[in-house]
Amino acid sequence: MSDHHPHEETTRSPYAARIRAIEALLLEKDVLTEPEVQDGISYMEARSPANGAKLVARAWLDDEFKTLLLSDGKAAATALNMEPAHPAEFVVVENTPTIHNLIVCTLCSCYPRAILGRPPDWYKSFEYRSRAVREPRAVMREFGFEPPEDVEVLVHDSTADVRYMVLPMRPSGTEDLDEQELARLVTRDALVGVSVPLAPDPPIPADA
Amino acid sequence: MGGSPGGPIDTKGHEVEDWERLADAISSALGARGLYSTDEHRRAIESLKNYRDLSYYERWVAATEILLVEKGVLTGDEIGERTAEIELRWGGP
Amino acid sequence: MTYRPGDRVRILSSKKPGHVRTPGYLKGKSGWIEAMIGPFPSPEDLAYGLSGLPERTLYKVGFKQADLWEDYQGPAEDILYADVYEHWLQPGEGGTA
Repeated sequence: MSDHHPHEETTRSPYAARIRAIEALLLEKDVLTEPEVQDGISYMEARSPANGAKLVARAWLDDEFKTLLLSDGKAAATALNMEPAHPAEFVVVENTPTIHNLIVCTLCSCYPRAILGRPPDWYKSFEYRSRAVREPRAVMREFGFEPPEDVEVLVHDSTADVRYMVLPMRPSGTEDLDEQELARLVTRDALVGVSVPLAPDPPIPADA
Repeated sequence: MGGSPGGPIDTKGHEVEDWERLADAISSALGARGLYSTDEHRRAIESLKNYRDLSYYERWVAATEILLVEKGVLTGDEIGERTAEIELRWGGP
Repeated sequence: MTYRPGDRVRILSSKKPGHVRTPGYLKGKSGWIEAMIGPFPSPEDLAYGLSGLPERTLYKVGFKQADLWEDYQGPAEDILYADVYEHWLQPGEGGTA
């Protein structure tokens, strides 16, 4: 059963009015203020997979930063002004030629929101949460990625106070790319581990 | 949940709706105020009898309501009444 | 008790009701301590508005996928990690590493 049905224009969830009602009541009773609610909205809007891509691209180019990222994720994010205020730990796990990491939260949908923002719908789905731990390779196949048999797949179930992100391997043929161009190759799916970064655009042939 | 059989994964997403952003923000703001914790929110979500029938943010809103009522911040009646008023303004539920 | 990386452990099979952060699929399963993550207030208590104190030690625990699922499709080296609280662990067979 799918966890979420896309809302059509004409079908509004009954919970839409409910949360508006809750908001109105909380503001009227001074339990919350308008600026606090706005801050809550801005906080999430400011966070996205682009932050993760930046961390990865910087790590690919700078070994010291990479060491920091792998030993103290929050310090690395703070160094790039990402303000990861959430109390949970942020741990980055590295893919290598013999290891591929996959992140899941079977119990709910824990995700490094303080860095990456909201998780995608599929990450929160019952299908992903139930299957990623049991058949990670089949799940990755659905995202178009197949790790070779000689690569170990490590699944991390975020069951407690740690949030995980993957540091994917740098694609080959990217020696000439700068940090921004590298960051563009790092997809959200690669940061969760269901896939790997994009390959660089093939160079335009001289005679084209 | 983990290890249960499951069907194919729907890899498309949906555009986050404004009410979902609001659900997220209200929950964060209440947490920042110390009115409830993430753990209480998770517990409230897990307690939902219709868990599998609700979408992700629908569960959030339902859990937020459970906690606000549990802690005596709001009553179920006033939430229900205000919700009905809003739906009327929007042209019916 | 305090565990160290490499120690064999077994997850308790407790049917404790209410909010728990140990997934059902790991109960009764054997693995090893991969790392000590650190002390945190217990989420099982925080979930009911209690203080969660004294803090409990959280461990990263590794399991061979082949030990978790009879029908696991993949190499014998595939691993699953979960973060488990000390009170859900007991020493496993084979003792400490």
